[in-house]
Amino acid sequence: MKNSYLFIGTLTAGLLLGTTACKDALVEVPVSQVGAQYINSAAGFEAAGRAAYSTLRDFYGREIGTNLTVFGTDLYTEGADGSYKFMNQYLSQFDGRVDILRDFWNRFYVGINTMNIVIDNSATVTGIDAALVKRRVAEMKFLRAHHYFVLTQTFGGVALVTKGNLEPTKVFARASVKDMYTQITSDLEAAIPDLATPTSDYGRATKGAAEHLLARVYLTKATSEAAAADDYAKAATLATNVIKNYNYALLPDFASVFAQGAGEINSEVIFSTQYTSDALTAIGVAGGAAVQGNQTHLYFGMEYDTQAGMQRDVFYGRPFKRYRPTTYLLETVFALDNRVNDSRYKKTFRDTWLSNNPSKTTPIFDDSKTSLKFSAGDTTIFIPGFEMSKAERAKRPYQVLVPSNYRPNLFPTMQKFLDPLRPDRTYEAGSRDFIMFRLAETYLILAEAQFRLGRLPEAAEAINAVRRRAAWPGRTAQMVITPAQVNIDFILDERGRELLGEMFCWFDLKRTGKLLERVRAYNPDAKANIKDFHVLRPIPQDQIDRTTDGATKFPQNVGY
Amino acid sequence: MKLTTTHLLGVSWRPVAMLAAFAILGQPAFGASVPPPISIEDPAQERTVTGKVLSGDDNSPLPGVNVAVKGSTRGTTTDANGAYSISIPTGNVKLVFSSVGFISQEVTVGNQSAINLTLAADTRALNEVVVVGYGTQKKSQLTGAISSVSAKEISELPITNARQALQGRAAGVDVIQNGSKPGAGVTVRIRARRSINASNDPLYVLDGIPLAGNIDDVNPNDIAGMEILKDASATAIYGSRGANGVVIVTTRRGKPGKTVVAYDGYYGTSSPQSLIDVLDGPQFAEYKRESRRALGTASGGYKDQAGVPVPTGTTNAFADGVLFEPIERDGITANRTTDYQSYLLQTGKIQSHNVSVLGGSEKTQFGLSVGYFNDVGIIKNQDFSRYNFRLAIDHQISSKLSVGLTSLGAYSIQNGDNFNPYGGALQENPLGKPYDDNGNLIFLPTSDGLRTNPIAEVIPGAQLDRTKRIRMFNSLYASYKIIDGLSYRINFGPDFTNRRVGRFTGSQTNARRGGDPTGFTGYEYQFNYTLENILSYQKTFKNVHNLNVTALHSFQRDDVETGNMSVTGIPAETQEYYNFGQATIINGIGTNLTQWTLNSYMGRINYDYNDKYLLTVTARADGSSRFGANNKYGFFPSAAVGWNLSNESFLKGSSWIDLLKVRASYGATGNTAINPYQTQTLLTRTTYAFGNNAAYGYRPNSIGNSDLKWETTTTGNIGLDFSLYRGRVYGSLEVYRALTTDLLLADQLPSTSGYDAVLRNVGKTRTQGVEVTLSTVNVKSPSGFKWTTDIQWAKNQEEIVELFNGKVDDIGNSRFIGKPLTAYFDYKKIGIWQLGEETEAASFGRKVGEIKVEDNNGRSADGQLTGQPDGKVNADDRIIIGSQVPDFSMGMTNRFTYKGFDFSFFLFARVGSTIRSGFHTGFNSLAGRYNNLDIDYWTPNNPTNDFPRPNQSQESPAFGSTLQYYSGTFLKVRNINIGYNIPESITQKMRISGLRVYASAQNFFNFSEYRSRYKGIDNESFDIVNENQSPATKQFTVGINAKF
Repeated sequence: MKNSYLFIGTLTAGLLLGTTACKDALVEVPVSQVGAQYINSAAGFEAAGRAAYSTLRDFYGREIGTNLTVFGTDLYTEGADGSYKFMNQYLSQFDGRVDILRDFWNRFYVGINTMNIVIDNSATVTGIDAALVKRRVAEMKFLRAHHYFVLTQTFGGVALVTKGNLEPTKVFARASVKDMYTQITSDLEAAIPDLATPTSDYGRATKGAAEHLLARVYLTKATSEAAAADDYAKAATLATNVIKNYNYALLPDFASVFAQGAGEINSEVIFSTQYTSDALTAIGVAGGAAVQGNQTHLYFGMEYDTQAGMQRDVFYGRPFKRYRPTTYLLETVFALDNRVNDSRYKKTFRDTWLSNNPSKTTPIFDDSKTSLKFSAGDTTIFIPGFEMSKAERAKRPYQVLVPSNYRPNLFPTMQKFLDPLRPDRTYEAGSRDFIMFRLAETYLILAEAQFRLGRLPEAAEAINAVRRRAAWPGRTAQMVITPAQVNIDFILDERGRELLGEMFCWFDLKRTGKLLERVRAYNPDAKANIKDFHVLRPIPQDQIDRTTDGATKFPQNVGY
Repeated sequence: MKLTTTHLLGVSWRPVAMLAAFAILGQPAFGASVPPPISIEDPAQERTVTGKVLSGDDNSPLPGVNVAVKGSTRGTTTDANGAYSISIPTGNVKLVFSSVGFISQEVTVGNQSAINLTLAADTRALNEVVVVGYGTQKKSQLTGAISSVSAKEISELPITNARQALQGRAAGVDVIQNGSKPGAGVTVRIRARRSINASNDPLYVLDGIPLAGNIDDVNPNDIAGMEILKDASATAIYGSRGANGVVIVTTRRGKPGKTVVAYDGYYGTSSPQSLIDVLDGPQFAEYKRESRRALGTASGGYKDQAGVPVPTGTTNAFADGVLFEPIERDGITANRTTDYQSYLLQTGKIQSHNVSVLGGSEKTQFGLSVGYFNDVGIIKNQDFSRYNFRLAIDHQISSKLSVGLTSLGAYSIQNGDNFNPYGGALQENPLGKPYDDNGNLIFLPTSDGLRTNPIAEVIPGAQLDRTKRIRMFNSLYASYKIIDGLSYRINFGPDFTNRRVGRFTGSQTNARRGGDPTGFTGYEYQFNYTLENILSYQKTFKNVHNLNVTALHSFQRDDVETGNMSVTGIPAETQEYYNFGQATIINGIGTNLTQWTLNSYMGRINYDYNDKYLLTVTARADGSSRFGANNKYGFFPSAAVGWNLSNESFLKGSSWIDLLKVRASYGATGNTAINPYQTQTLLTRTTYAFGNNAAYGYRPNSIGNSDLKWETTTTGNIGLDFSLYRGRVYGSLEVYRALTTDLLLADQLPSTSGYDAVLRNVGKTRTQGVEVTLSTVNVKSPSGFKWTTDIQWAKNQEEIVELFNGKVDDIGNSRFIGKPLTAYFDYKKIGIWQLGEETEAASFGRKVGEIKVEDNNGRSADGQLTGQPDGKVNADDRIIIGSQVPDFSMGMTNRFTYKGFDFSFFLFARVGSTIRSGFHTGFNSLAGRYNNLDIDYWTPNNPTNDFPRPNQSQESPAFGSTLQYYSGTFLKVRNINIGYNIPESITQKMRISGLRVYASAQNFFNFSEYRSRYKGIDNESFDIVNENQSPATKQFTVGINAKF
């Protein structure tokens, strides 16, 4: 009999366990996740705004950003390494399937959608100060204009989406360049009055940043299909506002603009993409896949680390040797005879390496000597920047890298972005803020606008503001130019000297209509291949394939 | 191990409901649970019968034979010498002798006091009982498509996990082993793939419990048999999880009688099937020169002192001096080739040891086993060890109530799961030197900053990558016979898995190149339980109507917690990954929780009329937490009919047909395999900072879809089972077609929408196929020589019928209507641009020596594709190169036995698929920098059409992806096995009851064009032969099977 009790007990327990709570059990609660409703709350509204900022990290400090602006220009060509040399060479491989191009597109649109959602939600969000909501909306418009501006310069007219999207949709079409600029300028113009001067959240959009961006937008628009007669005048006015109306000032020393750590925040910086030295806030997700800090410190270095007396270290950096200066940059833009006046060659390029590995005595590229011996701290490599004679080189107890010996892996190293504050020598997640707008560029925007308006003295004066700062002590007079010297090539060269590597060059060449001419003249690896259509980049193929009616509604740029 | 139940079925069908429950758990239930009709026995009148049972195969004593008094609970088993002794009541007593693999015999005792007999081996597979979901069925009564893999077949291979044993053994089951990393799993596909996004892995059921984890923790030695359920009739009882097929794994259990102690063990070595052929020193030097010659007069070109390019075929000391660094020049002078592969390789070792104890009494049976498995890979730092124990107990509390348990524990340690140093060795400059003159490792053998010494990777302590798993799987049951024919059973299956990963990468490694050491740890804690209530009813009406009804409620819940941490800057490398608190940087930390629940109801009716006309109807309703609020429950019905022609009067007397059955089934099954929370709209956290203050944000990441529901596969299956000439030829034939609808498809969105995809139930796929299973007894001579052959052959086709836009190709994802689920879509290489074609090449933006691809399409003015060349090569010119799906696959096993010897070999072939070869892109960059595959590259003096010219200005050749597609066809001699059963005369002296010694060789022969012509190693792959994994291996093992 007791077996029966046992059985009944088992049966009851089994049925109870099995059937109770079944209904509730099928309700899914994603404990570890954050659901969509959060974004409608006050905290979620603010969080989405911060998420919008994070997508700046999908371009600035990224390889795609530098590939699209440094490669294939008159100033930089390819170094020894890297998988994207075809972008420099304008080869047919540079098509809509390039992964980093697609990622950049995708992530910028994720950012735009986030901005749109914040703007949409601003009408209904509660529990947050109305003035703050207004300012956040202005910030989002600033960012949205920025994203569309970068996209328009890169691709021409793209999909213009200004409403937050929570539904799956595939109906898109390419807007005209004119529509793009209409949206960009109206967003910025709407944002300017609502934006504040700097706040405690360093790195948020400010009024000055918006005016600077709008100045650059008008300058660019003026040579686009959307050109209007007053573009240059507006650009000049806005640039002047930025120079006059805020507390921005050029630093006395060009080199200190790129000081790291506390020096990153200085009076010359108008707006920058924020990076940190804390891995937890430097590494993470922005618009898509993981972002690993500011990576520009990797790309401009030469292969010093395998040379005699040297090993890789944190101070000299991890040289990916992606971008190599062209002869035009080294010999014309930074003309040898002007380096005694202009400090920027010396301050832009590293020319001396001191031994950190004295026991290593090979290899030697310098053919003036056969053996070397170092003590710690001795000079191991020197780049004089001119063709020092073999006899002279032979006297030096270190390797001398002369222009005739520059190779894809050995060349003057741009040091602006080097990041000696990284914790170890292989660490990729650099902590430098990426400076997007700084006052020196405002002056050069002003100069270009004034030049286009025919006001040469004003143009020269704006340029001289930058050049005076760049002069070696006592050489200011030699740096000052006359109005007659101002022309578009001079402005481009001046931008090269001042803003080298700062993700402007390709856009500058395109804006000024000089891309084909100067690439053909000065970029040895690209000159044979570049064609008229290369003033636009290929639309990512996924975008075309996934859009309803594909290429008919979302046509690829001509030539790709 | 095959289950024979002739005796059972001959006796009575009555307690099958209960037995079916036991049968899930193994064989002994049949022997132990012969039903007890009421009989009043008088002990005084008992007497004893003794005797000896011999095997009809070779006249050897047959231990473990069940000897039962018919119609009573009495029974015993024969001992190691085949002897038995049983007390019987007076009267007209019949004894039933039965044993697995032999035809049962019934003997009337009469006056005899000694009965000796020989049991004939049972080759008629159709009398087997097979395990089906929630029960067992006699094979002749099956209406579904089911394949079986026996314990013998499993034991023939030195395998890490049971899934590997399915390869080539069951028709329609496609198993692929990628590479040879110790502990690596395999890919199993039953009847091809049907789902694009959801999993195509089958459901594994272990001792009656559907698993949420895997079966790889189960010791293959503990497995009594595996059944693969393929059609809807067989799988519909698993409802929402049946669409990809079901693999039922049954572990061994004790049986009444003498306790059998067994030891099974083997030891062997493994070595690469071959090595990758890369350039040697002199070839590398020339290849590097050629890559510079391709630059012509441009900077970096191979030019003499006067700046004139040096043509192919000649070298120049000045140009060499510029091009090569001192260590390379030294290597060229010394004619040096450093073979870095050899430094990473070692002879692998594989061993397995298992001890099992099986036995029990009439009321209680037990099985106990412990095992150890160890596989040391051919690449240093890669190994896998597993320790297993298992306990199975069955106890009959009363004639009505039984309880039992299977408890299985496994602890495994895998080293090197993500450790892939091999690629570094293949790419390392062979002119360099790995060690200096004092024998110290040179970390950078050349001045190339990216190429650190590959040998540094395998130095002890340089890298750790260790995964530890602890698994505790349990299956408990209680079974109660309520009334005659009606029984109730409860199953409870708690299953714990704890997994822990630790990684450490030291400073002197390629990943760190002198940077601070990094570490990573991750854990995963999984608790899953299943609770099932099963009611079964079985009854025969009027002797001809056999009815069997099963009803089930099942509840399963799964709970997975994970966590991870990664750091940089571990102060002392000796700390490995054990003290992250002292690291300088925390790179990331995370924890997560994932839960799901499944609530199900199932009913099944089996009916047959006099064993002639068979009918099975099943239905299951599954409710899952993973699915949208609007579609929690899915309903999966199926029906099947069968006709045993051989039981009809017109065939019953046939001299050559033993069994002939046709069957047909139709039904629906589901695929639940989307991840929890995919129906919900969730936010992603983003990382940013304002100044140095964290500015984390949240943004929409996915678009939820509360209408999401199961993918449903509707399968029609027609099968034929036959057995001819008294079991000399038997097998089955299956033809099926399955349509999968409501595909859970990531509808790819243009990212201008803010998202890249949304999951939807759209799209359809179709699979269809033919499967043949054939076994023959080719020779069976009186001298004892026997030759049998088992063949399985399957052709499974898959096809996309509709995608998210209807019958429109999804080019962005390489999915095409009418093609298999994944297709390779790329440019078509038609050769290399040759000298004389400069102008034409230039019109495509190419130069001579580069890959020439086909211009086969263009666009008209209005943007429509024309199908005509347009003088441009762009995305429109891509075509379908091939697919991963083979035309057919087959396995064949031949076995020969003679006296004590046995010999078998097992062939496995897969024909007609296309694979990608990672070696041919990853190590074929032809940029004159890293070492390269030794391939026939173009030069002005060598106008080949195979591979392009090396060129220093490229990172990889233009259209280099076209170099990776190869035929996946291969034929392997998967296993050759030779064994010898030590004669009893010797084993008796050794006091053991049986001893077999054997030797086996795996993968010693592997025939494929990929190997013979393109220098690949092994193209057994579903997709890509990864360039950085260990080369495929061959193994030689010796082993023994001993019984005490």
